[in-house]
Amino acid sequence: MKRRDFITSTAAALVASPLMNFAKDKPLAKKMLVLGFDGMDPGIVNRLMGQGQLPNMQRLGEQGVFTMMRSTCPPQSPVAWGSFISGADPGVFGIFDFLHRDPETYIPLFSQSETLPSGMLVNLGHYRIPLKPGKVVLKREGRAFWDYMQDRDIEATIFKVPTNYPPSESSQRTLAGMGTPDIQGTYGIYSLYTSDENESQQDISAANIYYAYIDENNVMEGQIEGPKNNLVKDGEAIIVPFKVYVDNLHKTTRIDIQGKEILIAEKEYSDWVELEFSLISHLANISGMVKFYLMEMGERFRLYISPIHLNPRNPAVPISTPVSYSKELANKTGLFHTIGLPADTKALSNGTFSMENFITQSLSVFQESCRLFDYELQHFSSRQQGLLFFYFSSLDQGQHMFWALNDKEHPYYHAEESRKFGYIIDEMYRKFDRVLGKALKSIDPGIPVLVMSDHGFGPFRRSVNVNTWLVKEGYLKLSTNEINEEVSILEYADWPASKAYALGLNGLYLNLKGREKEGRVSTVERRKLLEEIKGKLETLSDPKNGQKVISCAYISEDNFSKNFLQRAPDIILGFDRGYRISDESALGSLSKEIVSDNLNWWSGDHCVDPKKVPASFIANFKIQKPVPDMQDVAPTILKYFGIATPAQMTGKTLI
Amino acid sequence: MSSKIKLSKEANQKADEIIAFHGYSSLEELVEDLINKEYEKIKSGDNKEELANKLSGLGYIS
Repeated sequence: MKRRDFITSTAAALVASPLMNFAKDKPLAKKMLVLGFDGMDPGIVNRLMGQGQLPNMQRLGEQGVFTMMRSTCPPQSPVAWGSFISGADPGVFGIFDFLHRDPETYIPLFSQSETLPSGMLVNLGHYRIPLKPGKVVLKREGRAFWDYMQDRDIEATIFKVPTNYPPSESSQRTLAGMGTPDIQGTYGIYSLYTSDENESQQDISAANIYYAYIDENNVMEGQIEGPKNNLVKDGEAIIVPFKVYVDNLHKTTRIDIQGKEILIAEKEYSDWVELEFSLISHLANISGMVKFYLMEMGERFRLYISPIHLNPRNPAVPISTPVSYSKELANKTGLFHTIGLPADTKALSNGTFSMENFITQSLSVFQESCRLFDYELQHFSSRQQGLLFFYFSSLDQGQHMFWALNDKEHPYYHAEESRKFGYIIDEMYRKFDRVLGKALKSIDPGIPVLVMSDHGFGPFRRSVNVNTWLVKEGYLKLSTNEINEEVSILEYADWPASKAYALGLNGLYLNLKGREKEGRVSTVERRKLLEEIKGKLETLSDPKNGQKVISCAYISEDNFSKNFLQRAPDIILGFDRGYRISDESALGSLSKEIVSDNLNWWSGDHCVDPKKVPASFIANFKIQKPVPDMQDVAPTILKYFGIATPAQMTGKTLI
Repeated sequence: MSSKIKLSKEANQKADEIIAFHGYSSLEELVEDLINKEYEKIKSGDNKEELANKLSGLGYIS
């Protein structure tokens, strides 16, 4: 398909003619390559193709198809990639948002995995030893498409696909992606040592900020706070001390830690530094790794320490199948980031990183991903048959943070930063085009190649507190008259009097009798209430400019399969362009205003109406549907390998 | 297992008023309910902080 034929609206696409049908009964290919570029926006691809800046994507599309693909509702990565994995809509695999909630307690839960506690603990001197270890359970239901390939002895390598932590049981080579925590069980707590007293007193989330005291011998002593030691009675965090020898003359430091000496110059990153966190002296350790980043020396000393990643050589919890796969990768390519989303976006949001610092880190993550991709590409080329799926996170994380650089309407637009760094999003797309170009050169031209994303991107200019709206409309009652950020529905909701509440990035729930602990809404009034709330939400306008805030409120039971519908919000909030849920509302808190400016570098987003952020689909083969669905990709891959669409899948093959 | 607690006269009077107002059947029922509510408050607070940290790590909540 030529670029000029690119279909710019879903409506137009829906009436376009079907393309050629290549479907046959036997396997159509022995090998297939699928590249997952999270967040690749078809509108930006189309613009850059038009300027001749993405020659490899353009060539691929001209051989087959370049079109937009329907993302899931909501278009959040765990949901969309879950649909890719399962070949189905979210009702089948049971993930509807980053956050779900427990209707018994109203407490939000992380949707992708659940940590089950260890069994009974026995006291042994200073230690508490569990008789049965705890474990982490994947909450994605059903089979992954690569399981059906495994049934036919067809090899698949699935590299860092989101919504697969802990990796589902398989003999395929899989490495967990988004959802993989750091060693402390969070998604990334970094540390900063700073000689700036004001900065050291900041109280910010997901960061440990320390004052850097440098003595008269130019030595600073610090510590890295590891996981909590649940084997000892006080359960304190395990500490790894280190010393920094500061050489201001040569702008370098030496860091001594666990017998290692690391030399880094100002503005440089160290390599990965492996650390052992001792649970029981000489008997049980947890292995982690960090990178040091010497941000500043001289007038101000600032040393950033990355979150503690699980060490792929010896992860404390499995991050791959087989378990040895992560070790193989580390031994062949060097250590690599294991946290699901490795670029430290919150360090930029918090002001610890400048834009330049964040770009430096993003490029380092990208280069590391490319190194791993080269290895997997070689492995793929050496095989007679099989699938390689390789996922890159950089485009998604970059667009979240860089969007305002190119958006003069954004309340966080900074002209000076824009002048310096406004090129960066387009440059990232060009880099990904070169990744594709390299791949195309190294594989047989007959191999089907698909480049896809899970959603597109748009501006996040204004934050919407849906809980505040629910209070003002009388659907949510509180036991206080205060309405501000300190008021959480978890503490102040008058549940027996409340009809609805919002939790997660796109979810609105009814307070349903028989489902919620203190439900108010009866089965009889449920549907009418859903339609009433939907109608009101769709007329909600921004008091600042009169713009529509929610373009569509999707009633879940009309949109999803029933299998795991009980986990779903009753309404999925489809925000209009420029709007997203506020941080407070996502976790159940209120704000004074319903709509307010987003004053954060996290300025682009996709947790909106899926129609506003379609995904990208570029392939060297033709497809039958002008606008494919995310759930159609897995049946298409299986079809190439001669496998009929399994009953679980609600998607349809595209070939 | 039961435990005895001693309340001041003033606290006892307040407890009686709460029992009458909300319809608790006994002081024990009131105390147990208050403990449960306080416990849930603490647990939900912990969970909220943990979740905020987790989502903050992902970047979606600052």
